[in-house]
Amino acid sequence: MRIKPKVLWFQGITCNGNTHSLLCANPSRLELFLNSFDLIYHPSLTTHTNLLDIIDSEEKIDFLLIEGAISNNTNFFSISNHSVKDLLSKLVLKSTYIIAVGSCASYGGVHAKFTLNDDITGVQNSLDKKSLSKLKHKVVNLTGCPVHPEWILQTLFILKSKGTIHLDEEHRPIELYSTLTHHGCIRNEYFEWKVEPEHFGTKEGCLFYSQGCRGPMTKSSCNKILWNGVNSKTRVGMPCIGCTETDFPRLNMLETNKNIGIPAEVPLGISKRAYLTITGVAKTFNINRLEEKLIKYDD
Amino acid sequence: MKTVDIVERIEGEARLRLEWKNGIVHDSKIEFLNFRGFEYILEGKPPLDALVYTPRVCGICGQAHLLATVNALENIYRNANIDIEVPLKAKLIRELGLAIETLDSHIKWFYLFIMPDVTSLSNKEYKEYEPIKGRKWLGATKTASDIMRALAIIGGQWPHTSYMVPGGVMCDPTLIDLATIENYIDQGIAFFENNLSGVDMCDYLQFNSIDDLDKLSEDLKDFKDISFEYGLNNTGKSYNRFFVLADILGFKSGRIKQVNSGKVNMVKIKEYTEFSFDANVKKQSSKKYSWAKTVKYDELFFETGPMARAMVGGRKFIKSIHKEYEDSVFTRVMSRMDEIAFLLDKCKKIIKNIDISESSYIEPKIKLKDISYSKATGVVEAARGSLMHEVEIENGKIKSYNLITPTVWNLGPGSKIDPGVAQKAIIGSTSLNEAKIILRSFDVCSVCTTH
Repeated sequence: MRIKPKVLWFQGITCNGNTHSLLCANPSRLELFLNSFDLIYHPSLTTHTNLLDIIDSEEKIDFLLIEGAISNNTNFFSISNHSVKDLLSKLVLKSTYIIAVGSCASYGGVHAKFTLNDDITGVQNSLDKKSLSKLKHKVVNLTGCPVHPEWILQTLFILKSKGTIHLDEEHRPIELYSTLTHHGCIRNEYFEWKVEPEHFGTKEGCLFYSQGCRGPMTKSSCNKILWNGVNSKTRVGMPCIGCTETDFPRLNMLETNKNIGIPAEVPLGISKRAYLTITGVAKTFNINRLEEKLIKYDD
Repeated sequence: MKTVDIVERIEGEARLRLEWKNGIVHDSKIEFLNFRGFEYILEGKPPLDALVYTPRVCGICGQAHLLATVNALENIYRNANIDIEVPLKAKLIRELGLAIETLDSHIKWFYLFIMPDVTSLSNKEYKEYEPIKGRKWLGATKTASDIMRALAIIGGQWPHTSYMVPGGVMCDPTLIDLATIENYIDQGIAFFENNLSGVDMCDYLQFNSIDDLDKLSEDLKDFKDISFEYGLNNTGKSYNRFFVLADILGFKSGRIKQVNSGKVNMVKIKEYTEFSFDANVKKQSSKKYSWAKTVKYDELFFETGPMARAMVGGRKFIKSIHKEYEDSVFTRVMSRMDEIAFLLDKCKKIIKNIDISESSYIEPKIKLKDISYSKATGVVEAARGSLMHEVEIENGKIKSYNLITPTVWNLGPGSKIDPGVAQKAIIGSTSLNEAKIILRSFDVCSVCTTH
């Protein structure tokens, strides 16, 4: 019998959103994952094993997946009578690859905004230098709130076959996080010609100008690998809130901060002067096709 | 004798503390020891940011939180005497999103959370229900995943979209989008007919008597047979009092106390913290044992959720089952499964009523950040029951935010002489496994319970 790599899914401070995102994976892909790896423990899914027993056993873990933020403060949070940090550090010692699944596990995310507990971090920051130096592979951060299930599966399959994955400065897989959310958005033509929607709830217009869309500044594959296999937020009309970047959640996420009518932050790597010049030119053309309704029903 | 047990597979974790006398549970405590402080996080934030934060209270019922936030923020306008219009189209699309999310939750709960425990009661082998490997487990995750595509058509993604906004929704679906959503709903109906109930859904919706239980085949029959063999129809009974807060999705608000029913008066809803930890102190008093608060209506515990909705709404099949088996585990689970048919049917009706020529959104006359003071409440029926958000805005910022989740109603702490709903249901169990199944029958979500 083939030996399958062992996967353990550990939950820290979380909403379980990444678990439910994983369950929303394409069903054949989810089944392939479950057949290719041995999911030895997941708090919501498996029944035959207990986390503390695994920790006490000699069993090694190939892939340790962590959902949720980490804290050592047991006044607010404990798992099976231990602090999240305590359990994590024990699990890390048994594991070959460490993968932070979602923004909370990567850098604290939404939960780090709870300031009464000042000890909430991501996985990387919670580990001491000694355990980090012992790791064969850098901690992999799969940011996103939640993370796309396909990003998890692709990362696992790559690591399984190649043993390594190229990471960016935030420890995110380069191939998943090099493009912007903006890439592949079906509203791109409105961005090119600087056409704003009248308001929320339209098929037309780019959400960058008033609705706060972070698509041009956020690294993700959201419009390349579609959500639930069918769509993305920006495609339907919901602005990107930049949930794959470490400054998420920011303030005023559904509104564009502007200077003299122009977005205060310009697309990633573009100089303000270049952006203003292009905008000025684009806005002089009133392109009827883009100002009108995209679909005109004839009744 | 005392036992302490960690309960998993409940959307987070809970600790079940039981006191036994002669082999029977004499007292129970359900402890939720994890607190994430969402109400504190929201203080001082711009009001619209709540649309991003509150879905993240819970990975499985985030859309219910989103809609509760939107309802509360729209009432902020109304309570400040500012008109706010919401197109019917937007209201229907919101309800559709909520219904789809509830369907996903109910299906996953039955196969992933309760059936592994229920089948373990039996000496027979139920290999197809085995987590991760079993054909039924895989079939349920497939169906849930397929149904969620319908929500992504209007919301862009699930979990954690914030496509609802005061004034409407952010999407503008086409007729093809609506037809595609209906396709996914039809797949859900096929699952209900072929896998869950073994009954044509139109016929199922005509069920009106307990005798109709005999017509069930497939997985609900498995559940029924095991329930009757191991007494789940006589265990897990609580106060037999029911509470529904929101008129939405065809559910009616109201309450039932013994035989008397009545309307809900919001001022009679009160939270208590006698047994709940205080986030602002380091050393908790010994009386306190959970991060969950206690909530009562008119100083009494009431059960919320699918059974309450079926009872208050007068769904005949469930009422007939309840007449015989009262608020037992069996009635509670059957109510949740019955709601799948009710909601699939409701989705079809909602889709038919959406007029795509209407606007999706009407911009409110002023921005929330320009409101100097207002306070309001938003209510919704989430998968696990009545959900309420209370928000207070001062100088354009959130001054306070309070959440009362369905699981607080059902799982909030009480005392030995005045136990909470689930606590009371567990008292009298004869085994730890039975106590855990009773607890699970409430569809425990620890992340919502403490938030």
